[in-house]
Amino acid sequence: MTVNVHTAAVRASGLSRRYGSTRALDEVDLSLDRGITGLLGPNGAGKTTLLSILATVNQPDAGSVSVFGLDPRDAAERVEIRRRLGYLPQELGYHRHFTVAGFLDYVAILKEITDRRRRAEEVARVMAAVSLENRARTRIRALSGGLRQRLGIAQALLGQPDLLILDEPTAGLDPEQRLRFRELLSDVPGDPVIVLSTHQADDIAAICPKVIVLLQGRVCFAGTPAKLAASAAGQVWAAAERDQKAHLSWRGADNLWRHIGDQPPDGAELVAPTVEDGYLLLSHATGAR
Amino acid sequence: MTSSSVGPASPMAGADEHTSADVLARYATGSADIAVVWSVEAHVMGCVRCRSTLSKHVDAERLARNRSVLLVRAALPEGNRLRRLLCRCGVPDHLLGLLAATPSLRRSWLLSVAGVLAVVAGEAAAVRYGWIGSAGRMGLARYPGPEVLAPFLLVAPLLVLAGVAAAFLPMFDPASQLAVAAPFSGVTLLLVRAVSALAAALVPVVAAAFVLPGPGWLPVALLLPSLALCAFALAAATVMNPRAAAVTAGLSWALPVLLLAAAHLPLLIVERNAQLACLALLCASALVLLVRHDRLDMGWTT
Repeated sequence: MTVNVHTAAVRASGLSRRYGSTRALDEVDLSLDRGITGLLGPNGAGKTTLLSILATVNQPDAGSVSVFGLDPRDAAERVEIRRRLGYLPQELGYHRHFTVAGFLDYVAILKEITDRRRRAEEVARVMAAVSLENRARTRIRALSGGLRQRLGIAQALLGQPDLLILDEPTAGLDPEQRLRFRELLSDVPGDPVIVLSTHQADDIAAICPKVIVLLQGRVCFAGTPAKLAASAAGQVWAAAERDQKAHLSWRGADNLWRHIGDQPPDGAELVAPTVEDGYLLLSHATGAR
Repeated sequence: MTSSSVGPASPMAGADEHTSADVLARYATGSADIAVVWSVEAHVMGCVRCRSTLSKHVDAERLARNRSVLLVRAALPEGNRLRRLLCRCGVPDHLLGLLAATPSLRRSWLLSVAGVLAVVAGEAAAVRYGWIGSAGRMGLARYPGPEVLAPFLLVAPLLVLAGVAAAFLPMFDPASQLAVAAPFSGVTLLLVRAVSALAAALVPVVAAAFVLPGPGWLPVALLLPSLALCAFALAAATVMNPRAAAVTAGLSWALPVLLLAAAHLPLLIVERNAQLACLALLCASALVLLVRHDRLDMGWTT
């Protein structure tokens, strides 16, 4: 099989998907390079649909996808994409009677690691990567939500995938686990394409060199987190009192009101915008929230 | 290989006959040949000094990795006698590993099947042999013959079908999305699960048929309808929603059985003409599966 070399490792063009009368994706174009790309958007923005299409689990109504030059519409190329894929769905169901090692062994078989010894080595490797090595015999039903999420991440890492798709990987993780997760993603060998969806703007700011904002099924921003933050420059203010005219306002830990809006509230001070500010402003502008 | 060059290190090695640092280093990195490995292991068991030297050469990361692999291998079950037997018969180990996620092979499922069969077959036997009265029970008093078999004939192939349906319906596989996104052939996975579920369910069905007061050929006569129903469900799943396919297959059995039972002729459903119809259905379903099997692959289909 010939693998075409493209500038972007993953490309999507004109992707549309409807569920009944709801348009989940509306002519989405995007390109993903090697490294980590964050997909930011509110609930219902189409993130899960987009990721499931890239993972070949879901099919678009229109548009095309190319993964490492392979077309998922072709059966053989689809299998080749799946050989190079690690996928963590948003709602990963578990066979609760499985042990941690048994579940990973099962997924390793699905990933065509048929040699028993190699499977054990690979399972041990990913368990160590997510610090589950001492829970090999623990049944999944006995794991906490955070541990299950780590197990989900571990199964996605099996086989050292070239394309790692993680849908809400930090959901259910406590702050320390989220830090470990960021560390883990930064150390994934082989420089794969990693795309992760999240609500957490600080996750994006911390580990993603590129961010895509998906709102109402459309790509509204694609660029660096710094650029997203900069898009709110001159529109973020801190003041002692709440300003009703602001687009968005909330009280911060410093007890000051943070305002996002065109006009400065009385006595307000202009502050440096964050990725979250840029994202909120974009959401407000498109009426997505 | 010992410092005094008096042959290989052994448990008999004296205080002056220690394994050289070079050999210990090769042993620690796993590059020593097997004879040397045995020799070193036998020696260090009884030599504190060499154990101490060896520990300086040990790669802690490799040791941790090996420990993790050992923990994983210890945590993975070797399988029961049946699995070991199937392995010896040449069934690939990884295929048997996939069956671990087949709900209809779980003990609770099989116990439920056995329970339903026991109730249905038990009641038929009890009525037939006059252990319990049948007055008011669907007219059994007037028809103490084959009518008592109607509930069993209705339920038995449907239980087999339910087992197979549970093996291929995504709703019974909580990790179905992982199976779809994996490169392992979805069709192979489905067929392996379906065949194993079919075999597992047929055993109690045939066993129950043996204890029933029906004709002697009844246990054998149930095989073809059960097989045909399951094949029909799989074939139908290539043209419609899998759940609808299972329901359609179930109805296509239940309706004729109920009609024949109402006509007091329930055994017709497993007699010659019905067997021929089941054979035709099985062949047609196999043909459809052969031609359209790629439609069973879920996810982004062609």
